[in-house]
Amino acid sequence: MTPLPDSLLDSLASAAVREGLADAVFTRLDTPIGRLLVVQGPRGLVRIGFAEEPEDAVLAQVAGRLGPRLVASDRELGPVRDALSAYLEGEGDRLDLPVDLEMVAAPFRRHVLETLHREVGRGEVVTYGALAERSGNPRAARAVGTACARNPVPLVVPCHRVLPGSGGIGAYGGGVARKRVLLALEGALPD
Amino acid sequence: MPRYTGVTPSASLRSSPASPRLPPFWSLVEAHGEELLAHARRLSGPDHAEDVLQDALLRALRAYPRLRHADHLRAWLYRVTTTTAIDAHRSRRRELPVEEVPAVAVEDDRDDFEALIAPLPETSRVALRLRFVDDLDYEGVADALGCSPVAARQRVSTAVRSLRERHLA
Repeated sequence: MTPLPDSLLDSLASAAVREGLADAVFTRLDTPIGRLLVVQGPRGLVRIGFAEEPEDAVLAQVAGRLGPRLVASDRELGPVRDALSAYLEGEGDRLDLPVDLEMVAAPFRRHVLETLHREVGRGEVVTYGALAERSGNPRAARAVGTACARNPVPLVVPCHRVLPGSGGIGAYGGGVARKRVLLALEGALPD
Repeated sequence: MPRYTGVTPSASLRSSPASPRLPPFWSLVEAHGEELLAHARRLSGPDHAEDVLQDALLRALRAYPRLRHADHLRAWLYRVTTTTAIDAHRSRRRELPVEEVPAVAVEDDRDDFEALIAPLPETSRVALRLRFVDDLDYEGVADALGCSPVAARQRVSTAVRSLRERHLA
């Protein structure tokens, strides 16, 4: 059997988006930190998965939250792909993409990630404690850690910029090696 | 600046607890797309197969959230592809009156339901399967058939009526 032609898949996905039939659109992007699965809902990016995360599980998770009508389209997500590629190759100073934290059920965790996305720019870092404080609850450093560990939109919501107050680089949902690469890319790797 | 319009999750975006856990639509496309294209090719020929399949998958996507169960999704996609091929053939035949209606293979003609509806024309059988096998409501049937809900209801009720007449006669 011959595989489905890309032209058919592309125009199917574009027609679906045009008719408002897609609950979410996704694309697979090869980058210097591995393949990313990038999922966008009607109001912004809802999920970015690293290569180790099983794609089926990530897509099922999004479908459970936004609806089952997921379509793949490199074309529809062209600007998002370009922005992520440029950022990961060290070009462009801000990853300014709309984000929808629909996947985050807990209100405080959502608030933490919104604060992080809004306030902590490229080249800056913040400690878990300081982010807790900026999010309005100075004693919630542990909850901030959980929020970062479960961040559904890494890279764009920059949890790699959150470091332990005690020094060092700390943990990262995508692995410490990636956190190091990202901080180095931004010239913010602590000694 | 990033925009956060979704402070509270919108209920309309989530599937209701009663709705079935449907797999992401694109997983079906990636899993069954090739064989569906082969099916479309058998029904419509190489020149029309891709257009037919694209149209069929769009129809399926429209109806997808209204499916009431997640069983037999592959068979359902075959059915939608078959219907779309028939419709496409009809509209082409209006332009080219020499062609023949394609001989359509029925995928699951083993069970009693298929035996019961076998004497009916294909359009009636497809409408009945969408309504009673796939358990779609009339809007869902309409999406799959590419017609209005009123027309879908008429097609189903006409089919049921002729079935009744046939079996009471």
